Amino acid sequence: MVVGKVRPLADALRDLVRNGDTVFLGGFGHAVPFAAGHELIRQGRKRLTLCRSGADILFDQMIAAGCAEKLIVGWIGNPGIGLAHGFRRALARHDVELEEWTNFTLVLRLHAAALGVPYLPTRVMGEGDVANAAGRVRHIEDPFGGGPLTAVPALAPDVAIVHAQRADPDGNVQMWGVIGDTVAGALASRRIVVTVEEVTTREIVREDPNRTIIPGYRVDAVCHEPWGAHPSYMQGFYTRDDAFYRTYDELSRTEEGLAQYLAENVIEVPDRARYTGRLRLDHLAVGGPPAPPIRYGFERP
Amino acid sequence: MSAVAANPEELMVAAAAKRLNDDEICFVGIGLPSLAAVLAKLTHAPGLTLLYESGVVDAIPPRPPLSTGDPAVISDTAYSGDCLAVFGALQAGHVDVGVLSAAQIDRHGNLNSTVIGDYSNPKVRLVGSGGAHDIATLASRLVIVMPDDPRRFVQRVDFVTSPGHPDGELRGELVGGGPAVVVTPRAIFTFEDGEMTLAAVQPGYSASDAVEGFPWQPPRVEDVMELTPPEPELLEILRHRVDPG
Repeated sequence: MVVGKVRPLADALRDLVRNGDTVFLGGFGHAVPFAAGHELIRQGRKRLTLCRSGADILFDQMIAAGCAEKLIVGWIGNPGIGLAHGFRRALARHDVELEEWTNFTLVLRLHAAALGVPYLPTRVMGEGDVANAAGRVRHIEDPFGGGPLTAVPALAPDVAIVHAQRADPDGNVQMWGVIGDTVAGALASRRIVVTVEEVTTREIVREDPNRTIIPGYRVDAVCHEPWGAHPSYMQGFYTRDDAFYRTYDELSRTEEGLAQYLAENVIEVPDRARYTGRLRLDHLAVGGPPAPPIRYGFERP
Repeated sequence: MSAVAANPEELMVAAAAKRLNDDEICFVGIGLPSLAAVLAKLTHAPGLTLLYESGVVDAIPPRPPLSTGDPAVISDTAYSGDCLAVFGALQAGHVDVGVLSAAQIDRHGNLNSTVIGDYSNPKVRLVGSGGAHDIATLASRLVIVMPDDPRRFVQRVDFVTSPGHPDGELRGELVGGGPAVVVTPRAIFTFEDGEMTLAAVQPGYSASDAVEGFPWQPPRVEDVMELTPPEPELLEILRHRVDPG
């Protein structure tokens, strides 16, 4: 039975992501929200500004599919393999605008929004060419006399889309493994859509509240999407499907190849269940024992 | 014991590893930097603490991570926070040494991983800074690992992703110390008055071999040393534990 904030992904994205929105996509190599990104492509979302620190091939696919008008990133490529070919072609044709930062400054911009302040100061970007490429930085003096600093403006996305291991119906999101900039990006955003491997119970979440990375009151929708980060990694569930990243690297070198990849893996596949149904995935599942439980003691019962 | 002599990449990784000291806090880039840092950790520097930008502290990856988000960085680690935690530690001055590679380097240790050619109309658009600019700017010292392609060594990088030493002078104390050493498969360079300077050659190379193909003639220290070949035990660890392939 669907309760609380749990709802189908396609419905949630139709309601919560609008053309022209600034969208933060979670996943730092690990837990990349492919199911949600692919659904946005199928829904034909346009003129999005896509942002995050390290952007991988989901960004490349959304750019190639025509969803993105602008990118705000610290890095963009195919992790461990090479370059983002769709992005490079789009940039050369001026089909997409690029505002590039460093990973630290991009995270600081999100953190400023999460803190509700218009900017944060930092000691980086005082030298080199990155500040010019980013554009919107100010070189300032520490008002307390500590010397030169760089101010980076808050970045508050309209919506964050995050994939995690589990959430309860109230929207409390629990994630473990590599977190990257996921928390900063989610807490910076006005709306939050979460896809999860498992919809769990309130009781399980409340047994280990330190595992909760986003509190439920901030979350607008929880969507049950097993294998929702395939072909990236999901700690405790599956490892990366490297063949996909390599195939993508080869095919995306040409526009036709990339279009073929999108047709076969996104456009002609109505949803994630149908996507995983056609794949052999057993070899990607991870094993190993669960972490030992910890005790949250309170007063003696 | 390994019977096979070190190949050029192994010479470079081994020499870079030896630039990292026991008990240091080390912020690691992915690829060759990670190989060198893990090799140091598993050999002469067991107290080296490795930080990856994804938020991981005190990692010992069992195989080379494909990215800092690869769960290999988390499979044997003491702490997994987030980007803000580790970049914060870097900016607060807790990091002794950063290890990076790049597409291009110039005589002042400026690094480029953004574009080859003109920024607005590049010949090759690369991946961008990631955390490289932040590590280069803030780490107390920087170890740079550069593969053996003379085209990577240029008079002036096309784009300064990660700043090196300002022309002609070492930088001040406010941010990190900047590039300390560049390790290649043929040589080691240090920075004398902010200028990349040949300091040592890998076994079997002459001083002129070490800079062959460079578009400028880097200065040399008075006595250019020849490095000793990596020990067989070290190569064994590199081949079977750092990069079991």
